[in-house]
Parts: sequence; structure tokens; C-alpha cells
Amino acid sequence: MKLWMGLLAVASLATASCDSGKKDQVGKTGSAGTTTTSGGAVAISGSGSTFQKAFQEVAMDAFIKSNGNVKITYGGGGSGKGRQDLADMVVDFAGTDSPFKDADKSKIKGGDVLYFPVLLGPIAVAYNVDGLSGKLQLSPDTIAKIFQGDIKKWNDPAIAADNAGAKLPSDDIVVVHRADGSGTTDNFTKFLDGASGGVWKLKSGSTVDWPKDTQAGQGNGGVAQAVKSTKGAIGYVDLSDAKAAGLIYANVKNQAGKFVEPTADTASAAGDGIDVKDDLTFSALNAKGDTSYPITYQSWVIVYAKQADPAKATALRDYLKFLLTDGQKQLSSLDFAPLPKSLQDKAVAQLSKIQG
Amino acid sequence: MTIPELSTSLDLRARPSWRRTKNTIMTVLLASTVVAIAIPLVLVMISVFAKGGKILFAHFPAFLTASIPPTRVAGPGMGPAVLGTLMTTGMATLIAVPLGVLGAIYLNEYGGQSRFARTVRFMSMVMTGVPSIVMGLFIYVVWTLHFRLQGFGGSLALACLMLPVVINAAEQMLRLVPNGLREASYALGATKARTIVTVVLPAAMSGIVSGSLLAIARAAGETAPLLFTIGAARVVNTSLFHGESTALSARIFENAKEAVVAAQDRGWGAALALVLLTFALTVIARVVTAIATRKR
Amino acid sequence: MNQTTDRLRLAYFALATLVVVFAVYNAFAQGDHLGGDIGLAASSLGAAIAWFVHRRLAAKHVPARSLTDLRGDGHVDDKLFKLLAVGAATLVLLILGLIAVTMTNRALPVLRTMGIKFFTSSTWSEHDGVFGALPYIWGTIYTSAIAIVIAVPISLGVALYITQIAPVRLKKPLVYLIDLLAVVPSVVFGLWGVLALAPHLGRSFLTAGIILAIMITPIITSLAREVIETTAQADKEAAYALGATRWEMITAAVLPHSKGGLVGAVMLGLGRAMGETIAAALVIGSSPQIALSPFKSGDSMPAVIANQWGEASDLQKSALIALAVTLFVMTIVVNLVASRIVQRSLAKSRGVGG
Repeated sequence: MKLWMGLLAVASLATASCDSGKKDQVGKTGSAGTTTTSGGAVAISGSGSTFQKAFQEVAMDAFIKSNGNVKITYGGGGSGKGRQDLADMVVDFAGTDSPFKDADKSKIKGGDVLYFPVLLGPIAVAYNVDGLSGKLQLSPDTIAKIFQGDIKKWNDPAIAADNAGAKLPSDDIVVVHRADGSGTTDNFTKFLDGASGGVWKLKSGSTVDWPKDTQAGQGNGGVAQAVKSTKGAIGYVDLSDAKAAGLIYANVKNQAGKFVEPTADTASAAGDGIDVKDDLTFSALNAKGDTSYPITYQSWVIVYAKQADPAKATALRDYLKFLLTDGQKQLSSLDFAPLPKSLQDKAVAQLSKIQG
Repeated sequence: MTIPELSTSLDLRARPSWRRTKNTIMTVLLASTVVAIAIPLVLVMISVFAKGGKILFAHFPAFLTASIPPTRVAGPGMGPAVLGTLMTTGMATLIAVPLGVLGAIYLNEYGGQSRFARTVRFMSMVMTGVPSIVMGLFIYVVWTLHFRLQGFGGSLALACLMLPVVINAAEQMLRLVPNGLREASYALGATKARTIVTVVLPAAMSGIVSGSLLAIARAAGETAPLLFTIGAARVVNTSLFHGESTALSARIFENAKEAVVAAQDRGWGAALALVLLTFALTVIARVVTAIATRKR
Repeated sequence: MNQTTDRLRLAYFALATLVVVFAVYNAFAQGDHLGGDIGLAASSLGAAIAWFVHRRLAAKHVPARSLTDLRGDGHVDDKLFKLLAVGAATLVLLILGLIAVTMTNRALPVLRTMGIKFFTSSTWSEHDGVFGALPYIWGTIYTSAIAIVIAVPISLGVALYITQIAPVRLKKPLVYLIDLLAVVPSVVFGLWGVLALAPHLGRSFLTAGIILAIMITPIITSLAREVIETTAQADKEAAYALGATRWEMITAAVLPHSKGGLVGAVMLGLGRAMGETIAAALVIGSSPQIALSPFKSGDSMPAVIANQWGEASDLQKSALIALAVTLFVMTIVVNLVASRIVQRSLAKSRGVGG
């Protein structure tokens, strides 16, 4: 008798809890009712680009202070993961440094997506070498040769040519790249594709067939950590993470022939001349101008245009608005560059396209 | 009369020989292996206690209750992870221990050496060898894909890992209960079920408790099964069924991959908290066994 | 009156079963919110009705059977209990079967695409759709081999020291210490490895092997200690009586007797090292190359699963699951061989007797 009572109690409890937990399906038409957690709060979750992760964390905390009933989580994991999660409708928004490839568009389950640019920033070429006399300067074809394994030692003539008169040790170069599907990788390799004058052979993409004798890290933070703790290492990390890790990075030669240091200002300079498409996608790489940093890239937050849950739609609109307006003030302390004004206006206007 | 010279082979006086030297060498070598393992283990413990203690004890109890700050911001905060570990492991225990004890009861009291029982025993042993990441993938495929990231998925994965361990330990404890007790109970007219519940189980209880505590300690430290199932919350989540959760082990893994010292420090603190938790569980298990043996 | 009582009991059981079935179905049905609310209401109503019936039964002076009531006839409870026990035992088979079925099912797509080349090719490229697992299989085997080479002499040495050489007062604390260290989570070793060890040694097969060795040594030592302690005292004393030094006694009496069990303990440690995810993922370097030099970086099966799962496309997920199945099979084989060896050696030692 008592056994059955116990089973009943457990079953009822299970029904009560399991029941409202799995209705968080974005974009599923026909679901009635609000998706609320037990406190009456709305929960939205995101994943993806580690480039914007630092911004997301700070913005989240600031947003929640004035919107206490919204719970936001951002899982990182790389732009590839963000796009995959959003396509599978496992998250409500995704952070990505590159748009969906045409081939992947058929896998998006929830309909049309909207791209909201949120920040710009430089990719730093960070290194960890003892015995250098000063900061390194690198041109795109040298960078290409290093990362595809043509140059194996630090005192290679190509590096010496870029750094006239500098002392270079004879240590081996250890290349560090991303292990996960990364928008940073995508943009970095696109840059090498475009700027190295045919030297870069490994093509571009979120994942690349790197040479075998290289190391990989998870996320921008992971690459930063690997470079920091491996002697002779070189890797590509977004500036924000590179500075936070205390790494040294190189000045890179831009289209105008000048060696430019990656900073928020040189990234903004690169952002001034961008060509923005109607869906708000663009590329800030290889920008013209004397003061532009050539490896400047961008990050978007993607959401579905059609939202099934009105509470979530409102939460997403509010959070995105915050990211695009007040949140932009947080960017400079994190070494990102804010959006150019015209782009910011277009993005805020696009908020009305989120229906639900 | 002269005493005949003792031949050397009968002279039993101990004398220096290569045999004694060999013995001394091997003794020294064996003692050095203890030193060899002690060094890295001591180094690890020193790092954990020193670096972890710096943040855990300096900000006690804030470290164990505050939310997790952004990656780059220095400061304590592992509250959600502590709660997550306790909740997921607790739920896993609620699932695995009763089921495991019941399974062990079947194996020892009902099944014996029947083909079915032997198969179950064998499969249970096989299951102890399943790598924890395989278990995590399995739960992802059958549960997370349908119910999204939630703490309960992690509990299921941990329960699957604990189940064979509990069955094993419980069965051994049940086997140790003398048959005389069972027979006395039957003689008093009790049914098998009542005998098991009222006589056998209490007799084996201390061993089952300590075995379960060790299984719980192991589950609390598992990372791989949680990676794909519970998500990455940074604020406290009191529900296992709504929304993402996090755990100490998962957080340690995340922070181990970061380059920022602030995040690494939190990782050390979380490691210390986890180590203290598992130590506490192990010590309690030993105490339970000691009390039980003393009673006998 | 008895008939009514029995009928009520039947009704109660029927109602309770219906409610439970309803509740379980509802928990798993992909229904909408409204259905869920109805389900909750129905379950609660059913539970309330069942409670009333139960009280009614109790009020009819049929004493509620407490489980400690030792009076004879409790057929229903007896059968129910046995059912529960059998059910729990079957659960093990069910779970294992489910793992085998679901994992193999999802591994098939990549195996169909790659065929046997999945195990022999060393190209793993996501955008070309080519998945060769050889570098990861190599990494797992190589790091585990390094770990065993380091851990075996040390753990066997410690076990021998604790059981044969240590003074009695030192023995208990040492055993306690080793058991305590066996419980330290592997992620803590991984954290130490990547933050304290890797900056000095680099990220390579060797570093990963060292971390694994540190992790599995307490496990092998615990097991080896238990095996060694089953050596018959008489055998040891016989060796001493013949004039053996302590080391000679060990080689003559302890090792031959424990050989099987020791091999089993080592293989169990090997199984553990092969399945280790976190420590390997952090310090191995994540580079899919097959290299002989232990100073080169590499990758291992569980590490690449952990690293690439998050954003894997469907075919890549299938490839990662195929890796998981491969790892599963490898660890099972090792564990099976280990337990067979341990069983055989324990049976022999029991047969010999004191």
C-alpha cells in the first residue's frame, strides 16, 4: 500500500516538474502559453562566438540589474557551435563572427534569421618568444607562411625582412590555432586569403586543415592560454582576450603598406569604410586607410525573426536593444570597438522585425 | 682434540654477500617508489590547497554562495557550481542507490547463480568500465535532445555511472550477512521480502552506506558526463528541470582553459571545494565502517 | 464484508496504476502546455481519490500492513518486492542494451561513408566530410602506454612496500592516504597539469602520460595491495625459514602467488587511463598527428569528443559517436581480460589454502 502511495507521489511530482521544463522551443508555432521558469522569470539562452563572450558576460550582468525577471545564459563554444545550436533551435540566440554559409542555410529549422552586429575588434597575432629585442612586425604573406608551416624557425629570413635589424632567436615556432569551429579562424583565414597575395594555401573557413605539427586551443581563451604557456608559440587571438591574458602581439602590415598596432581605435578606423549589405552582414577585413588595422573583424547576434513565445520575444528585443545602445559603452574597457553610428541605427531599426 | 673445520656451506653465520646487498638495494628502491608517488601528489595537493585556499578561505563563505562573475573579473564566486554539484549528485544518488541496492538484493537473494543473475552480474561489471564520456553522449542522445540542457540530464548520466558500482558494493555486503540470520527470520514465519527488508538489509547497511558514499564521491568529481547535458549557468538555478545548471567539476574544466588569472584562481578555489567534498565523503564512509566493525 | 474489502483494494490498485501510467505518459508526451496542466490536475485528483479509498480501507479495520509486521501471509507484498528487485536488476541490462543500440545506430552513418577507412585513415576533416580515427586511436594507446610504463613500477613498488616493508604503525596511515588519493577527481589533476606542469613540460603525449600515471597509480596500488595481502602467511614464513632475505621472500612467495591479480590490477588501471577525458584534453596539445616522439603534441579519442562535440555537424557527430563506440569496445576488452585474470588468480589462491 505504502509503496503505491510513494510511487504516486513521485509520479505526480515528476509530471509537475517535467511538464513545463521542455516547452522552451523557439519558433515552434502552435504552442500556447508563456514559457516561464518557476519564479515567473523569462529565460533566454545563447551560445557561440568566444570573441564576444566577454562582452556578453558584462552586458548580461548590467542588463539584469534593471530587468530582474530575465535570466540569460551564454555558453560560448565557438561561432560554429552557436550557428549549429540556433539551427537546431537549442538556444534562443547565437553569437557568431561569420554568417551562415549558403550550404548550411537549409539546415536552419526555425525560418528566417536576423543578423544584429554588436561589435568590432582586432585579431591579434600573439606570440611568446624569449630573446626578442622589440615588438615584432609582420606582413600578411609572412604570417601566411608561418601558419601553414613553411617557416619553421623564429630567425627565418622572411621574419627578419619584416623586422629590419631586430635580433631573432633560433627557436622553433609552435603554431597554435583553434580546435573548435571558430569565426575568428574564419575571419583570420579570409584575411590571409585576401591579403597574402596567393601565398596562403589552406583556404578559409571555420575549421581549416592545419598542418599536423601544430597545437590547438578551445576558444579564444584556450588559444591565449596555450600561447602564454608554450615557449616559441604563435597564435591568433582576439585583442580583448590577448590583452586580458597579458600576451604580446605583433603589428601587422595593412593594405596601405603601414605596420599598424591592433587597438580599439585602429579597429574603428577599419570599421569606417565597411560596405554593409541589406541583412546587415559585412566584412571589416583588409580595410583601406593608413590607420586601419587589417585584421579587424565583427560579431553578430543572430535570432529568428518569428518567435513563438511573446515573453521571450520581448526579452530578446530588450536585450538586443541594450547590446546595441547602452551596452556599447562597455566595449572600450574591454578593448572592442563600438559600431559605427550608421550601422548602429540600422541595427536598432531592425529590432522591429522580431515578431512574436 | 681439535674441532674439525666447519665447511663453508654449513657455516650459518650471516656474512656480507651480494644477496644481502641485493636485498638492501631493493628495499631502498621500493621505499623510493613511495617517495616517487608522494612527490607529485604532494605538489598537486599543495597547489590546490595554497592557490585554492587563497580564494576560498579568504572569501569564505562568499566563494561558495556568490554568482560566477564574468570570466575576466577577479573575485570569488562559485555558488551556482556548488549548488549544482550538490543537486545533480544528490538526485543521482536518489536514483542510483535505491535501484542499485534493489538490484544487489535480486542478485544475492533471488538470483544466485541462475543464468539471468550471472548475466546481470557480468553486465554490471561491464558497465563499470564504460568511459564516463560515453555515458555523457548516451544521455545526450536519449534525453538532452528531447528535454534540452538541464541538471536532471547530468543526474541521469551520473546515476548510470553509479549504478553498477553500488550494485557491486551492495552485493558484496549482502553476501557477508550470515545465512543463520535469514533462516532464523524464516523460522519466525516471515516472508522473504520481510526478511530481506527487516533482517538482511539492516545487517548489511553500514557496508552499503560506506560503499554508496564512495560511489557518490566519485560521481561528484565526474566532469565528462556533465559537459553535454547540463549547460553553463552563471547564476544560481534551484531547479534541476528548468534551465541550465552547472557544477564544480565542469567549471574547473572551463576555467582550466582560460588564460586570465582571475578565472584560473576561481578554478583552483573550485578544485579545493571539490577535493574537500570528496575527502569528507570518503572520511565519513570510513567512519561508518569503523563504527560498524567496532560494534561487532 | 471481506468481499467489499477485496473489491475496494482492487479498485484502489486499479486507480493507482491508472494514475501512475497517466503521469508517466504525460511526462513523456510531446503535448502542449494545456495538456500538461490537465495531466497534473488529473494526477492530483487521482491521487486524492486513491488516498480516500486507502483511508476507507483502513477505516474498515483492516490493519494497514507495515513492512515490519512479521506475520506470515503477505503474498502481494512479497511478489511486489521481488518484482521491484528483478526490475532493478533488469535495468542494468536495459541501460547497457540501450547504450549499445543507440550508439551503434548513430555511428552507422559515418561507417557507411568511410567503411574500414574510418580506422585506418589519418585524415580528419570536417568540411571535406572525411573522418579517419587513426590519430586519435594512436593518441589514446600511446598516452595510456606511457602512463602504464610510469605507473606500474611505482604502484607495484608502493604496494609491496606497504604490505611487506613498512613498519606496522606506518601501514594504516599509508593505506588511508592512498585510498584518499584515489578519490581525488581527475579534473583536479587536469587543472594542475595544465596550469602547473604544462608550462614547463609543454603539451605533449608525455605530459598527458605523466598526468594519467599520477591518476591511476593510487587505483592500481589499492588493488595490488589487496591482492598481495592474500598471500598465505605460511608461504612467506617458509621462505624465511629457508634463509631467504626479504626481497627473496617477495620474489619467491608473494610475486608468483599474486602475479595474476597484479596483472589484473594493472589492466584495470589501463582501462581507466584509456577512458580519461579531461586531463588528456587539457594537456595533450590537440593536434591530430601520429608521432613516435613523446614530446610531440597529439590528441586522444575522449579528448577530441569533448572538444569537437559542441558544434559538430550531423556527420561529424556520427563520427564522434563512432569514436566513442570504439573507445567503449577497447575499454571493455581490457576490463574483461583484467577481471578474467583476477578471477582466475583469486580462485587459485583460494584453492591453495593456508
